[in-house]
Amino acid sequence: MDALKSFFMTAPVEPAEFAQSLWLIIALPLLGAFVCGVFGKRLGRGNVHLIACASVAGAFVLSAIAFWCVNHAPQGGLPVSMENPFSASALRYSIGYDYGIWFAAGDFRVNLGLMVDHLSGIMLLVITGVGFLIHLYSTSYMEHDESGWRYFAYLNLFVAAMLTLVLADNLVLLFVGWEGVGLASYLLIGFWYTDAAKAWAGRKAFVTNRIGDFAFLIASFLLVLLVGAFTGQANPANYTSVGVDPSAAQTRYAEGLAFKGPLSFMGLEIMANALPVTAESNPAAALSLQSPIAQGPLEGRTFGGVLTVTLLLFLLGAAGKSAQFPLYVWLPDAMAGPTPVSALIHAATMVTAGVYLFCRMSYLLVLSPTAMLTVAIIGAVTALLAALIAFAQDDIKKVLAYSTVSQLGLMFMGVGTGIFWAAVLHLVTHAFFKACLFLGAGSVMHGNGDETDIKKLGGLRREMKTTWWTFAVATLAITGIFPLSGFFSKDALLHGVHHNHLVGFEGAANALYALGLLIAVCTAFYMTRVYLLTFEGERSKEARVAHAHESSGYMTVPLVLLAILSIVALFYALPLMPGRNGVRQPVMENFLGPVFASAERLAARGGQVKLDHSLPSIVDYLVAWVTALVGGGLAAFAYLKYFPSRAGMPAPVWARSVRRFTQNKFYVDEVYEAVVIRPVKGLGTLVFKMVEAFIDRVLVHGTAWVTNFTGITLRYLQTGDAQVYAAVMALALLGGAVYAIIQVLN
Amino acid sequence: MANSVDIKYYLILAAVLFCLGMFGVLVRRNALVVFMCVELMLNAANLTFLAFAKQHGNVTGHVSAFFVIAVAAAEASIGLAIVIAVFRSRGTVNIEDIRTMKH
Repeated sequence: MDALKSFFMTAPVEPAEFAQSLWLIIALPLLGAFVCGVFGKRLGRGNVHLIACASVAGAFVLSAIAFWCVNHAPQGGLPVSMENPFSASALRYSIGYDYGIWFAAGDFRVNLGLMVDHLSGIMLLVITGVGFLIHLYSTSYMEHDESGWRYFAYLNLFVAAMLTLVLADNLVLLFVGWEGVGLASYLLIGFWYTDAAKAWAGRKAFVTNRIGDFAFLIASFLLVLLVGAFTGQANPANYTSVGVDPSAAQTRYAEGLAFKGPLSFMGLEIMANALPVTAESNPAAALSLQSPIAQGPLEGRTFGGVLTVTLLLFLLGAAGKSAQFPLYVWLPDAMAGPTPVSALIHAATMVTAGVYLFCRMSYLLVLSPTAMLTVAIIGAVTALLAALIAFAQDDIKKVLAYSTVSQLGLMFMGVGTGIFWAAVLHLVTHAFFKACLFLGAGSVMHGNGDETDIKKLGGLRREMKTTWWTFAVATLAITGIFPLSGFFSKDALLHGVHHNHLVGFEGAANALYALGLLIAVCTAFYMTRVYLLTFEGERSKEARVAHAHESSGYMTVPLVLLAILSIVALFYALPLMPGRNGVRQPVMENFLGPVFASAERLAARGGQVKLDHSLPSIVDYLVAWVTALVGGGLAAFAYLKYFPSRAGMPAPVWARSVRRFTQNKFYVDEVYEAVVIRPVKGLGTLVFKMVEAFIDRVLVHGTAWVTNFTGITLRYLQTGDAQVYAAVMALALLGGAVYAIIQVLN
Repeated sequence: MANSVDIKYYLILAAVLFCLGMFGVLVRRNALVVFMCVELMLNAANLTFLAFAKQHGNVTGHVSAFFVIAVAAAEASIGLAIVIAVFRSRGTVNIEDIRTMKH
């Protein structure tokens, strides 16, 4: 056991050396995208598959080595750490490399810096690992598509963008990845662009994401101003919690800013540490969260206020990317793309970006209970809304899409209440079982003539054995049945939501917990429904093909691997690691400890959040288990006993109207249409008319008309008759002579 | 110099000659006559040069007059060559008919 431990903790490459090659992790899939996109048509199907899969596999290997390096701690030696340019203390369990200035304007500077710590390390493994399985699966799924090369180019581009997002050590580089996944998702969702509806779905995703991205940008600018105001006003006493020698820490921080720019995560972390909540908590400090900003565009606003606004704008950005409440409408429509794309976008990558962003900036988030509560409420509302909509959807992919929205809502609840590690754990386990579910759905469609209506499937259990059992495992995992990973991760989340307290909003914890349990019941219900209608019972009479066929090995192997992963991921939730006060910690919490150390420290000051580190008790586990069983049991009763016994009888009117209401997604899209899209369109038409009337008529056509008129008029003067010209010259001469005479006489 | 003619008579004669020449250039249609009228204008210019030169006792005016004569001779030879070429190709020297530049 010790030998194994020391093996895993001794990196195969010197971490400091490997850090210089981190760019390769992004460059490999990018190169794959380039080769597939430019030469793909001539390379042939097999070569494109090979290049696309190999580049992601290579990225996976490099990610694994990077992760290994991050865990580097030879026996008796210190854990791997990297220099923090902003402070004397080093960053533990992280490696990174700065490739120098990317761009600079005035004293604003952005460096091309990549960093891997435990959080981004886990994300790297999930993205490249699950991403590779999805690539492998796609080689079979997209076999019959004409432009497979284009598909794989986009898919590689997507992976590259997502890797940029998690590897970035500053917000600007993160934004590049953030935009990159938006672009790639637009390309992939609208992959079958000859079908207008699918192209529209891609456009919808793009536009919705853009709204969030705009908020993200404004938030970044606010942060730049905030950092500027902070450095201008802070005194050495502010830095007492940063370093042993406060004035040295202040100098160091200023040097760090000059070197790395204001948007580096390391710098933001130091700033968060140096901001006391109230003036009393550090009387010598020049400023606290409540002190006003002295000058600049934000003059007069308090630091805490600006921070809250910034975080709320980041929330809007994350809502766009992670499909949360106001901006979630694009995700269900995104089902128009090829199914493996849904798996990639939904499970492993893009939609988790919002959760990742907030975990990355956990130290800022814990400074603002208002923002935290908003995040939690948005998460809860989204989770519940999406879960309710999922009840009545008949399209297998749509159910899974709403389920993703709902699960992400749960993660946001966790982030909003400060149980960051559980949110990440749920993100990871969710990546496994949701990818498994989506790929399973794809396999079902593949074997049934692209049938997505679960009412027209059924009885696939005997015909698609591998798909069946992997889907079953993933369904059990997402519903939260004991010993699967989903049970532990969801329970850790709900437990944290219940026991963490936001100062000023103590009552929220119980309400959120109750909502969480309700969401868990809903999840269990609709997932069981999908599973039962698809795999159990008799084969539907409306089925497109008489006998479904099992998919090829390229599709089933990823399914099996994902199913196994969604079981073994439970290991991360087991309390095996030594923790505080002799209480054992879950592996994941211990693991992410260094990442969330600042957030913990800030919370421990007690001003804003009270984090709880207790383990769920047996009662908590029982409650969670019973909720899952109740939801699943209800679905089983309804769809195995109740509805079959009533077959042929019409449903009561109220049931039908409720169902129609839910099926139409609570008319949220229609409300948006009426409230947002119509007025904007009207405004657009108005502006268009003004442009048409003034710019087009007067300026453009007017210029042409004047030129034309002048030309027509002057044409008569250009006779080509030398004598006429001479006459004009003589007249001019006469005029000049008359003028001269008048001048002389005067 | 009491016996000399007052300069203003020379200048008036030159102005009359110039105006005659200009009138001819503007109204005559025959290219050769137009040329002759141009010569008339040049000679009016020469006359003013010489009148002023005599009045000031300065030879610069004479030199200028010689230059004008030389340039006028060169211009006349080229112009006549053009007129002859045009006459050969078109059979006319009426400048109202020679308007190819307009089109």
